[in-house]
Amino acid sequence: MKKGFAVVAALVLQVCFIVAGLSAENIKLSFMFWGSPAEDTAIRKALKDFEAANPGITVTPLFATYSGAEYDAKMKAMSESDTLPDVGYFGGQFYDYASNNFFLDMTPYVTKEGIKNDYLPQTWIMYQNKIVGAYTAAESQVVYYNKKVLQDAGVPLPPTDYAKSWTWAQYVDVWKKLTIDKNNKHPGEAGFDPKKVVRFGVNHEMWNQMLLPQVWSNGGDIFSADGKQILIDSPATIQVIQDFADLRNKYMVMSSPGLTEYNSTSKVDPKVLLQNGQIGFYVSGQWELLDFAGMDFPLGIGALPIHKNPAQLYVSGINVIFKATKNPDAAWKLQKWMMTPDKTLDLYSKGLWMPTKASWYTSKADLDKWVPTKAHPEGFKAAVLDSMKIARVMPPNVRNADQIWSEFINPELDLVWLGKQTAEQGMKKAADKIRKSGLLTGLWN
Amino acid sequence: MTFRKDSLWGWLFCLPLALGLTIWVAFPLGVAVVMSLFQWNMISPAVFIGLGNFDFMFFKDHLFWNSLWVMFYYTLLSVPLQLVTAFGLALMLNTKVKGMGVFRTIFYLPSLIPVIVSTALWMWLFNPQYGLFNLFLDAVGLPTQEWLTNPDMVIPSLVLMSLWSVGNIVIIFLAGLQGIPKELEEAVTVDGGGAWHRLRHVILPFMSPVIFYNLVMGVIAGLQIFTQPYIMTNGGPANASLTYVLHLYKQAFQFSKMGYANALALILLILTMVLSLIVFKSSNRWVYYEGDKK
Amino acid sequence: MTGHRFRWSRFWAYALLLLGTVFYLGPFLWQLRSSILPLSGVFAYPVVWWPEEPQWKNYLDIFAIIPFGTYYFNTVFLVVWNIVGTLISNVCIAFALARIPFKGRNVLFALSIGTLMIPTAVTMIPTYIEWSWLGGLNSFWPLIVPSFFGNAFFIFLLVQFFRSIPREYDEAAFVDGAGYPQILLKLIVPMAQPAIAVVVIFTFLNTWNDFMGPLFYLNDSKLFTLALGLKSLLSSYNSYWHLLMAGATLVSLPLIIVFFFAQKSFIEGLTAGGIKG
Repeated sequence: MKKGFAVVAALVLQVCFIVAGLSAENIKLSFMFWGSPAEDTAIRKALKDFEAANPGITVTPLFATYSGAEYDAKMKAMSESDTLPDVGYFGGQFYDYASNNFFLDMTPYVTKEGIKNDYLPQTWIMYQNKIVGAYTAAESQVVYYNKKVLQDAGVPLPPTDYAKSWTWAQYVDVWKKLTIDKNNKHPGEAGFDPKKVVRFGVNHEMWNQMLLPQVWSNGGDIFSADGKQILIDSPATIQVIQDFADLRNKYMVMSSPGLTEYNSTSKVDPKVLLQNGQIGFYVSGQWELLDFAGMDFPLGIGALPIHKNPAQLYVSGINVIFKATKNPDAAWKLQKWMMTPDKTLDLYSKGLWMPTKASWYTSKADLDKWVPTKAHPEGFKAAVLDSMKIARVMPPNVRNADQIWSEFINPELDLVWLGKQTAEQGMKKAADKIRKSGLLTGLWN
Repeated sequence: MTFRKDSLWGWLFCLPLALGLTIWVAFPLGVAVVMSLFQWNMISPAVFIGLGNFDFMFFKDHLFWNSLWVMFYYTLLSVPLQLVTAFGLALMLNTKVKGMGVFRTIFYLPSLIPVIVSTALWMWLFNPQYGLFNLFLDAVGLPTQEWLTNPDMVIPSLVLMSLWSVGNIVIIFLAGLQGIPKELEEAVTVDGGGAWHRLRHVILPFMSPVIFYNLVMGVIAGLQIFTQPYIMTNGGPANASLTYVLHLYKQAFQFSKMGYANALALILLILTMVLSLIVFKSSNRWVYYEGDKK
Repeated sequence: MTGHRFRWSRFWAYALLLLGTVFYLGPFLWQLRSSILPLSGVFAYPVVWWPEEPQWKNYLDIFAIIPFGTYYFNTVFLVVWNIVGTLISNVCIAFALARIPFKGRNVLFALSIGTLMIPTAVTMIPTYIEWSWLGGLNSFWPLIVPSFFGNAFFIFLLVQFFRSIPREYDEAAFVDGAGYPQILLKLIVPMAQPAIAVVVIFTFLNTWNDFMGPLFYLNDSKLFTLALGLKSLLSSYNSYWHLLMAGATLVSLPLIIVFFFAQKSFIEGLTAGGIKG
């Protein structure tokens, strides 16, 4: 009897252990991100693949169709209600949150797995010598064009070698040739009516980071390296801002503001305009390739214009693990997964992201996995991939940068784009106000 | 005995109101007052700074005065125009024209659709390149406008858009018009007075309480305009459409300055009360209630 | 002579009505045409006034791109509960304020009216903070619960209406031994149908179209309402105008139908409510 009892007890205990083991393995994570609907699909697939490879972990995707300020507002709301995700993209005011201990220190995991040097040096975001974030991907600026439009207009196709590209002036020339009004007149010709333009030569995205490659190319900058000085009123920077403004107001190769930019008032999609041949060129980020791949027209890629020296932008959202996560080990697994191109190949081969893993730029075996696909037209490697060698990041750790851009620089830029003031007037005014505002307090570190 | 019973039932039925006033009005107001004296970004502990927020508001925040101006400009322009438009529409809809039900639905349509839809639609209409308005202007040979992309035109554009959504005001005017005793109108006609005479001496005075109500509500709504600039222009270009409430929202949710946002909210409350008071006081001069002798 | 004047005013009435119709209806036709075009057609130049091959499948696609069905359900859910809460609270409150002589009645009424002057912007952030303390963020609670506490506008409307019902009815009922609850339910409510219809319609409209409330309080896209769902089609990256317009039509259609049939009683309810008060 006693023995029987012992056997039953042992069995029951065994069952308990198994059940406990099973339920202990059922971990629930959530991953928050933004992007276009196509990006949504791609990321969800990556998450599903993660779940398949890690039975016992489920990931709830939290998709936001907005980014920037709205995403930040959402983050704040979630932090208030203790509903923060485990892993996700993080937007502005990164360092405010970092300094308030919102992010998990990833250093122990990275060190233990020894992967730090596998990635591009810019990838890791540091705060007080701790790794608190990692760039989601390596993204850059790209010059897109509609091959048919250029061919029909008898205009030469732009070069693809980033180091030997056309100058800004040469690009402007081409854009002038492509801009036509209802009566087939070009800007500068008698009878050209800027209000009746049928096709614009170019649409260049104008949100803050999109201006940087040209600014850097000309030797200018926005903030000094120590974050204590504002450099927007340096002659080099002013020159570039004026060049951008001239696209609209002097050369009339670009449509009036508010027409086609991100977060613009009208949200007309420049990609569709490019497809329709209503613009000849489109300068934006390389993530557009994902959507372009699904559009049927002859897409071309050119190297960025050069003012003085070639320049390229490294831009990306930051992935973080929130400290509030209840499952840090599982969260790290997810984060690592999202950083491993082999596991999330679609995100790269379909054009959305460029890898942060260094070997994927240099090793032929790795390159072949993601570059030769429909999403990457000819010229991608030379114009974009190779240019990542010189890509610079807009430092995320300048204190109050968001506010400085939003409250001081952007309003002046608005007026410059409208032609109501010159770049010099606008930037000097803004720089003045910024210096007096007391917001230039250096870097977070 | 009946007295106590009345009291019991009265308060019982009004319990939701009393509770509501406490929880959703008095308490938040109290919180707003207290928070306005602190600096709080929701992730670090709050810091008491006394009147620091107000000092910043009046002397250092260049956007404060800007947004006040934008708010007043919008209200002063839109409210009278809305009232006139709505009144005119109500007069028209009050005539015995066949198919009036259809017309009424048409004019009320814009108020039936979600704000996000009407905003998206108008963003589209205002598009300088592909929008219907400029296409139309171009077709008739008039100069095209820059609408929302021009800092000088952005508020008038928003005002124009607001005239599209006067449906609610029209309905209330319509209800009021239908309450005018027919005998009065007929009396004027018999006396030889025309439509204009009828308007001035019968309709307007009779409608003055309704006009008053719509005026007060219109002003309060105008001062609070947020959704349209938020979606359409995000305050731009160059802060030309940064209304007061939009500025408040950004301070709270974009820059996490909760204390400052509450301070801004209190100032708005004071402004609204003052303006309402002014309109109320002026009403003694021009509003006639039934039972008053003319 | 009268006949002559009559005709002119008729003429102007028709002319202005026509002009007004163009202004008020025009954008809808634009919306409709955009909803049956492919995205590339929406901005095409020369302008496509009406597509030769209407792309009706936009109306189906929208359910695929965003969980439109879920949004519909969520919105209906909110509308139903808001109507319940609004009716229960406001009818009781207005009845008491209009019919029961009790101490403090006038003060309560005045306070209620006073709240109409408080801009929502003033209470929105503290209310948000309140809800965060109560743990109600990212849920429907903040969007439903307040409706159970009365609404100044509706209280005002209903009070005016109730006051216009003759007291004799109440008195007769009292004599018969009825208490206040019976008077309310069996007497007043049936008589107040037009006013109650107004309350229901306005509540329906306000909840269906509410944008700011869901914007503030809903994070999880599973909880989104139609208003937020439509906004999500206007993202920073891609603006699916053709789908947005299709969605907009789907969202507005129920409202238009409801209003068309309900407008007579709607206006009646407002009139009888003694708007003049």
